[in-house]
Amino acid sequence: MTEEEVINAKDLDKDFRYEISQKVGAKSLLKCIQCGVCSSGCTVTEYVDLQPHRVVASCLLGLKNRVLSSNAIWTCSLCHRCTERCPKGVDYSFILALLRNLAVKEGNIPKEYQSTIQTLHDNGFVVPYTGGLATTIDRRRERMGLPKLNQPNLEEIDFIMKETGIGNLIEKAIKDMEDEK
Amino acid sequence: MEYALYLGCTIPLKMPHFEFAFREIANILGYKFKEMEGASCCPDPVATQSVSIDTWLTIAARNLCIAEKMDLDILTICSGCYETLKTTQVLLEEDKAAFDRVNSVLKKIGYEYKGTSKVYHFVELFAQDEMLDKIKNILMKPIDNLNVAVHYGCHLVRPSKILQFDHPERPETMDKIIEAMGAKTVEFAGKLECCGFCARLQEEIGFELVEKKMTELKDLEEEVDVMVGVCPACVGQYDRKERLLSRKTDKELDIPVLYLPELMAIAFGVEPDKLGLTNRSVRPKKLIEKLNI
Repeated sequence: MTEEEVINAKDLDKDFRYEISQKVGAKSLLKCIQCGVCSSGCTVTEYVDLQPHRVVASCLLGLKNRVLSSNAIWTCSLCHRCTERCPKGVDYSFILALLRNLAVKEGNIPKEYQSTIQTLHDNGFVVPYTGGLATTIDRRRERMGLPKLNQPNLEEIDFIMKETGIGNLIEKAIKDMEDEK
Repeated sequence: MEYALYLGCTIPLKMPHFEFAFREIANILGYKFKEMEGASCCPDPVATQSVSIDTWLTIAARNLCIAEKMDLDILTICSGCYETLKTTQVLLEEDKAAFDRVNSVLKKIGYEYKGTSKVYHFVELFAQDEMLDKIKNILMKPIDNLNVAVHYGCHLVRPSKILQFDHPERPETMDKIIEAMGAKTVEFAGKLECCGFCARLQEEIGFELVEKKMTELKDLEEEVDVMVGVCPACVGQYDRKERLLSRKTDKELDIPVLYLPELMAIAFGVEPDKLGLTNRSVRPKKLIEKLNI
């Protein structure tokens, strides 16, 4: 048995459900009937601290901190079975992406994702493609008779990242790198 | 049959032999491509979408704009790219505010997203009746002695309300392509199970899922000669983790995993030496012997 926990009603964030449901693709949140189909089909259901239907219930109740600090929002394998099987059309996998976005805004970003974003920013690809690595890749492709790779437009990628509000993440990564040096 | 070819990053940069096999078979089937200049990562539906949905949608819409300027539909060769690009189209069509927000950013760098280029995964095109007939007629190297396990992978079929091309839990398209080449596909309980690659923050999940699927395939009555997938993340995940599991446990997990176009290239008579079939953790030694290539 887990220990009983008392949460004071005044500590609930009653607007949390609307913070989510007003966003692209997440409007379906409010339709949940807590049937649990999402959790029974979930690929990672044994690994999460809050199963999908409980994440949704927590969002509806306004337990914002609990949801955003759970491992459940990061453990998902994105198999989309929850979304596929929900009888009420709740798009759980997309709601989860939104919850991750909110966690990132609060400064909670897994270092693996931070580094993927940095790679995307610096290369236009999520695979490093500069210097010696680029030469190796280019040679390999040439040997196979494949066309030369098109270089992504890095200035445009940089511009989009900054305009869509994740410029701080890139600057943070650069700062972290400098601090390490 | 001309398309804007969208390569993504994993295949052209890390698995160019997959791209080679794809270009060979697509050429034999009569497809024509134009390369997408300046296109970037789709971007990936895991990290980028998790960090910022707006960034994800805007970079994806920029890629779609490049195809729109070319006045061509897009053909993707990776399930992750397929999911990102198609989801972006559906979301931007459903949500006017997001559509306007994305376009207000794109406008400043000279793009306008309209939503006029369709996005296809090659499986979708190859499984059409006339293409299946063409595949049957092209066959040069019989592969009818093979038992093939099909791995669809999540992002090819789900969520079906967005992707809309096959049944989300009982898909048939890949089976049809493989059967058109004369090989037999095996039925197994875990056929639609996830590879676990996207749960990459907790690697033990991937190990457990790979072990479960591969053990089931080994325990089937008929011997499985090869597993086939169409997503570079899934194919790489099974291939690498099978080998690691064989070292860590007493199980001998040795079913080779191929990218579907590689098996098609073998059946279409592309010179096996050019395909880089041994360029993976689980080398398809038995398969090569069985096919006598």
